[in-house]
Amino acid sequence: MPRRRANNTHEDDEPSHDDQVGDQYDGYESNGGRHVSMKRKRRDGEGEEEEEEEEDDEYDNDEEEDYCRRKRRSSVRDFLDDIAAEADSGEDEDDEDDAEDGFIDDDVTELLKENKGRMPRRPFLPTEDDQDDVEEMARRIEEKYGSLSRPEQYDEGYGEETTHVEQQALLPSVRDPKLWLVKCEIGHEREAAVCLMQKSIDRTELQISSAIALDNLKNYIYIEAQKEAHVMEACKGLRYLNPKKIMIVPLKEMAGVLSVKSKPVDISKDTWIRMKIGTYKGDLAKVTDVDDMQQRVTVKLVPRIDLQELADKLAGVEFVKKAFVPPPRLINIIEVREKNIHVERKRDPFTGEYFEKIAGMMFKDGFLYKSVSMKSISYHNIQPSFDELERFLRPGENGDGNFSNSLLSGDTKTEHFSKGDKVLVVSGDLKNMRGIVEKVEDEYACIRPDIKDLPETLTFNVKDLSKFFETGDHVKVVSGTQEGATGMVTKVEGRVLVIVSDASMEEIRVFAHCVMKSSEVTSTNNGNKDYQLHDLVLLNDSSFGIIIRVDGKAYQVLKGTPERAEIEVLMYRDINSKIEKMGTTEDRFRNRISVKDIARIVEGPFKGKQGPVEHIYKQTVFIHDRKNIDHGGFFCVKAKSCTLLGGLYARGDIRGGVMDSRVSSLRSLACIPRSPGRPQIRRDERRYQSGRRGHDSIVGTMVKICKGHYKGSRGRVVDIKGQSVRIELESQMRIVTVGRSEISDKVNVTTPGCDAPLYGLGSETPMRVHDSMREPGTPFHDGMRTPMRNWAWHPYASISPARDSFSLASQLERAASPASGWASRNCSAPGTPRESRTHANSANIMRSPPLLVASGMILIAAT
Amino acid sequence: MFFHIVLERNMQLHPRHFGRNLRENLVSKLMKDVEGTCSGRHGFVVAITGIENVGKGLIRDGTGFVTFPVKYQCVVFRPFKGEVLEAVVTMVNKMGFFAEAGPVQIFVSNHLIPDDMEFQSGDMPNYTTSDGSVKIQKDSEVRLKIIGTRVDATEIFCIGTIKDDFLGVINDPTTA
Repeated sequence: MPRRRANNTHEDDEPSHDDQVGDQYDGYESNGGRHVSMKRKRRDGEGEEEEEEEEDDEYDNDEEEDYCRRKRRSSVRDFLDDIAAEADSGEDEDDEDDAEDGFIDDDVTELLKENKGRMPRRPFLPTEDDQDDVEEMARRIEEKYGSLSRPEQYDEGYGEETTHVEQQALLPSVRDPKLWLVKCEIGHEREAAVCLMQKSIDRTELQISSAIALDNLKNYIYIEAQKEAHVMEACKGLRYLNPKKIMIVPLKEMAGVLSVKSKPVDISKDTWIRMKIGTYKGDLAKVTDVDDMQQRVTVKLVPRIDLQELADKLAGVEFVKKAFVPPPRLINIIEVREKNIHVERKRDPFTGEYFEKIAGMMFKDGFLYKSVSMKSISYHNIQPSFDELERFLRPGENGDGNFSNSLLSGDTKTEHFSKGDKVLVVSGDLKNMRGIVEKVEDEYACIRPDIKDLPETLTFNVKDLSKFFETGDHVKVVSGTQEGATGMVTKVEGRVLVIVSDASMEEIRVFAHCVMKSSEVTSTNNGNKDYQLHDLVLLNDSSFGIIIRVDGKAYQVLKGTPERAEIEVLMYRDINSKIEKMGTTEDRFRNRISVKDIARIVEGPFKGKQGPVEHIYKQTVFIHDRKNIDHGGFFCVKAKSCTLLGGLYARGDIRGGVMDSRVSSLRSLACIPRSPGRPQIRRDERRYQSGRRGHDSIVGTMVKICKGHYKGSRGRVVDIKGQSVRIELESQMRIVTVGRSEISDKVNVTTPGCDAPLYGLGSETPMRVHDSMREPGTPFHDGMRTPMRNWAWHPYASISPARDSFSLASQLERAASPASGWASRNCSAPGTPRESRTHANSANIMRSPPLLVASGMILIAAT
Repeated sequence: MFFHIVLERNMQLHPRHFGRNLRENLVSKLMKDVEGTCSGRHGFVVAITGIENVGKGLIRDGTGFVTFPVKYQCVVFRPFKGEVLEAVVTMVNKMGFFAEAGPVQIFVSNHLIPDDMEFQSGDMPNYTTSDGSVKIQKDSEVRLKIIGTRVDATEIFCIGTIKDDFLGVINDPTTA
């Protein structure tokens, strides 16, 4: 209101005022200039031209400044226009009305003010005259605020804004009485306020406007008055109040003092609550009775009573108070009697139910019924866990129906539906009908029923609906203790779902309302993005491990101690960092193992297991065996106790021999033109010969430089000279020379030059030494996939002396999963020199360890 | 279910493989890359049976790699919800049992095993009917129905049930 009035006055005397101001300020410094133009702008278009001319005349020397001024003026124009328009539109539309409104406003505010001051002075009960007065006042207030809240009174575009402004106008201003905070004796806040009220009735000269005692604020009351002295005066003689400690409430905070956060207390029967204090602190309880007057509720709890202690106490025996809280357990009356504790049977006068009274405590069906103050319980956002609810299942009452119903009465508020959810109607006439949510509006949801003959959508209260899942649905848990987990539903028991978690393969039980359908698969169980399931982490004590389970903020870590399954539960702070490095290491036979390779464990407690390598750290590998459910299928072994198997991710030269046969068959199949008249055998022979250059196997292979100036570069080996290697860099198109020791990856370091001592170990691949026809490349990887396939067509196979055993071996091989069972055989491979010589022939064709193993088998057969 | 379909893939080939055997190399690389992989849409690629067409290669700037669009025929295996499969039991525990149908792992929860079958622990954990006539243990062959699938980048995982007519053990290793 004040603003509008200001506008009015302003507009009334605008012409003169404006001119005056204009004259006064024109030609002053730019600040003043802006001010002037702002004011001037409020005039309408007709004056503007004239004005500009005037300005032009005055400033034609100084065009630049003029430009600036104009610009500035135009920049403020918008802002001012808005306000002007607002005021104008209000006036234009109902000029008279508005004026009248303002009139009444003034009147009412004055009245109110007067009233405020006067109110305490009036007798407490209004006389008849006053009654009229009050009614009159109420009418006027109604008139005022009622009219204001009606948007059609105002320009539509500004309707909202105006109400907001109105709201703002109601806030206390500097002219209103201040709020003073006065210290008061604890527990006597209300009393003090009432005393003040009485005092102001008795003594009319008291100049305070109001006194407020807030329930949530102890030790203080508020007094509203203009001056501190008035507060002092009022407090005088009241022993609860301490007038020496008076503080003013800042203007900004005044509204906050009296604003009430809507926190409806809706404790009703069968609500789940939690205890806040005492022995049962944190325990779940069910409300059985509510006494609103006394602010007390009767709750049903699982008792935490140590019967022995109770018996001792009742018998008067000295007992030592135990430090721990007894675990929750239902009371068995027979047990109680055995302890010679007197049990009284009482009938509740209201409900007619029988209770057992033991030492002043009421029990029924083993549960404790306790009357507690509403202040000692928390009832907001209670999310009972599954286990807790299960305890409340009455013994012998295993029926799903009742359990589900008790859940139903629990926390329906937490259930959020979204479009597309499948729902089940759980109460009302249409109970058990299924449908799909189409729309949700606050309390109501429109659902499209699953019934063909019922095409229209129906509206239900959200409370009558429950989410509905079928076995096999893939879901995500969105709230509760298992939040974030995903899995597939294997069983639906009323409102409880059994889910097989994707991450842990374990079954978890969750409530349907905590779950939503999702195709997403999370490997982690929580929202914490720092460490995820199956991350390799470095721990604070410089050990390391792999996260195999995430429970809220705790991580279960399988530590990197080989041959043992050492599990530790760690908190976030115990974990130092995540190890991102993807290293490689060497297996028992010095094959390079890298992540995703499939390895088989040949010794130790995990012997015989196999699976993809998930992480490598130092000399330790973590292998995942999906057949193993302990520790999430992971185990940790030394790299030396496994052997690398061929697998999907095994790398090798692209011209892997395995594919050749199939490729060639495809060639004909796919009608890829084939060079005529070149037999398969010839092709292979040729390849062996042409593939060999010099004596070194690594020529032509892709290597990575791991040391020196070119560290990290990849390239192809062009040539080898002694201990130096010439490498054609992939990235730079040039050939560099690096030391032999500076290259790594995919290159089998064993070369013919340094073979002898190595093979002395015996278990290595003895034949390779003699294999002068070996194909360049990465012999180990190559061919390991399906080792025996080559035999079928290989030219040399026919001359191999023990072909039968080969086929036997290949049969064996096919029967088992790829390459299983090699390892043990492999160990027995070394033979006498003579024997190896005999196999040197056949070794020509053996380009990979599995084949060697086969030869090992022949050896066995031969010897 | 198995399908024989035509898929397309852009193959990157290193320049060193160019030459007479380019096609061969391309195909063997394709096999190596594709066979055994799994995609949500098509399922597992079991085998490549033929090459339909190899498109024109495009040389990549900077690397020298060449990208060939290759169309190939392949056999894929994709489990569907509601499909009835035969599978071999790989592991039995109190939660249920795991079975494999080729590359697909299937979990049958104990909720989805007929109620008359009970878990027997021991060194050969199994599910046995009360009269002992039917036994599910490792290496048993079962016929089951898939009720849910989850597709990852590298594997398809299914939930199955044998709690239905005509489902259950079809071949017991102990009796066979």
